Amino acid sequence: MTELILQDAPAVIKVNDVSKRFVIRKDKSLKERIVNFGRSSKHKDDFWALRDINFDIQSGTTVGLLGANGSGKSTLLKVIGGIIQPNSGLVQRRGRLAALLELGAGFHPDLTGRENVFLNASILGLSRKQTEEYFDSIVDFSEIEEFIDTQVKFYSSGMYVRLAFSIAVHVDPDVLLVDEVLAVGDERFQEKCMAKIREFQLEGRTIVLVSHAASQVEDLCSRAIVLKRGEIIFDGDTAGGIGALRASFDQ
Amino acid sequence: MTNPAQERASRLAALPFQTSESRSSGKLGAFAGAVREIFSHRELLVLLVRRELKARYKDSSLGFIWSLIKPIVQLLIYYVAIGQFLGAARGIPDFAIFVFSGLTLWGLFSEIISSGTSSIVNNAGLIKKVYLPREIFPLAAAGSSLFNFVIQFAVLLAATIALGLFPFSALIVYVPVGVLIATIYGVAIAIALSALNVYLRDIQYLVEVGLLLFFWASPIVYSWSFVVAAAERTGLTWLSEVYLWNPITLAMLAFQRGMWISGSKDTVMGQDAAGVDIVTPAQPWPADLDLRLLIAGIIGLVLIWVAQRVFSRLQGNFAQEI
Repeated sequence: MTELILQDAPAVIKVNDVSKRFVIRKDKSLKERIVNFGRSSKHKDDFWALRDINFDIQSGTTVGLLGANGSGKSTLLKVIGGIIQPNSGLVQRRGRLAALLELGAGFHPDLTGRENVFLNASILGLSRKQTEEYFDSIVDFSEIEEFIDTQVKFYSSGMYVRLAFSIAVHVDPDVLLVDEVLAVGDERFQEKCMAKIREFQLEGRTIVLVSHAASQVEDLCSRAIVLKRGEIIFDGDTAGGIGALRASFDQ
Repeated sequence: MTNPAQERASRLAALPFQTSESRSSGKLGAFAGAVREIFSHRELLVLLVRRELKARYKDSSLGFIWSLIKPIVQLLIYYVAIGQFLGAARGIPDFAIFVFSGLTLWGLFSEIISSGTSSIVNNAGLIKKVYLPREIFPLAAAGSSLFNFVIQFAVLLAATIALGLFPFSALIVYVPVGVLIATIYGVAIAIALSALNVYLRDIQYLVEVGLLLFFWASPIVYSWSFVVAAAERTGLTWLSEVYLWNPITLAMLAFQRGMWISGSKDTVMGQDAAGVDIVTPAQPWPADLDLRLLIAGIIGLVLIWVAQRVFSRLQGNFAQEI
């Protein structure tokens, strides 16, 4: 565990009474909507993806979000990142936030690696000058110097995620939201990724990660939050969290 | 105290919290907030515009020339079919310049709307995964349309020079006014429709029909004088007034007023059998064109505000509806 103990670590994320409801409409076409107008409530299904979620995350901690499929982990991560607005409640955050929900989400297949680095870094919040400064280091880390001026549609999937990961770790975030993409590429590159994450922790960055791998959570996190059907059933140390997760499967 | 983690913690402790609801506080404040947010992402906006332009003709060998081929073919079609076969060119001096002016401005307006409307859906991957001020996508579409417009405008200017009809008069100030009004309305409509298109994909097909309608409801391939003449012939003069409510008509008239000098003077168009010159008088222009343009501009700016409010209402659920 590379966790640091900070004096009076300030909260960087505050989640207050957040609820999110999804509505599933069964009638998608205009005809169906007109025919069912007025009776529309019968043709809607809604469910609460998140219900009354409350927690604070302190700066410098690494928090694992755990839960079975469909328990609301990814939705919660998106609400924290501002990608989805909650129906009620409030999310407060501060510092530069980078969301790694999908590597290379902003890549355009027809552009070269170099053009995509600038575009993706800008999407994640770097200025052009900063990107130029980090450019060599980004390419170095990704180990694809030879192909940087090739269109990314010709990249192998490994090259693609390596470049994307490399950009993401260079944006200097205070808070990093990660959805299952902590380690990519071959085994050697995965080790490099994990080393980078540890370095992040030492630098006091906050990491919120969604993961199904209990060992990874145990290895990296100092705190675990377990969700079940949109509600928090456990919030505490990782060993307890993994226990609560296993118990929720058995029910 | 050289510990980087401790330094980061103290820096963060001094920062104010941002809330996910900050954009919906107060109507004017929220609009200003959105504008500020987009302004802070202006570098990204430029990159997105370049991405649109680069990606469009990436693997074609003619590249950008394709964006000129379409309007030039259109010009030929309208010149031959409408101008010569249907005879519109008889009443419109220098018909080629007239039609190409109209097509150039129309190209700007219709491209902003059609590419803007699908911009949110086309960037679904980004919208679902990263937080950005989403208005940036229709704006990037508008930016790349403006770039194409500039190229086509350069061709238009070259044509006026080649034909000795370069618009060398004070009326040229109407040109930026026309471009501005077309852009304002295009952007307002694109922002609103891009958001609606997420919930109702029929919008993008509706847009095609709507654009077709507006193309023929604006003086592009026929001139304003035809509308006046038709209104007088049928006695329905109020119809020409209604016709002028269309902001694109006004933008088009302003643009033509500036670019098409033959419309503002008497032109000799050949001789009749007796050898007497046939003189086409200067084109009529609507009364109070300046005032109408000013009003259209103000209404357009209000529409941008309305469109942004609609967008901001709808964008909360983009990530799950796309």
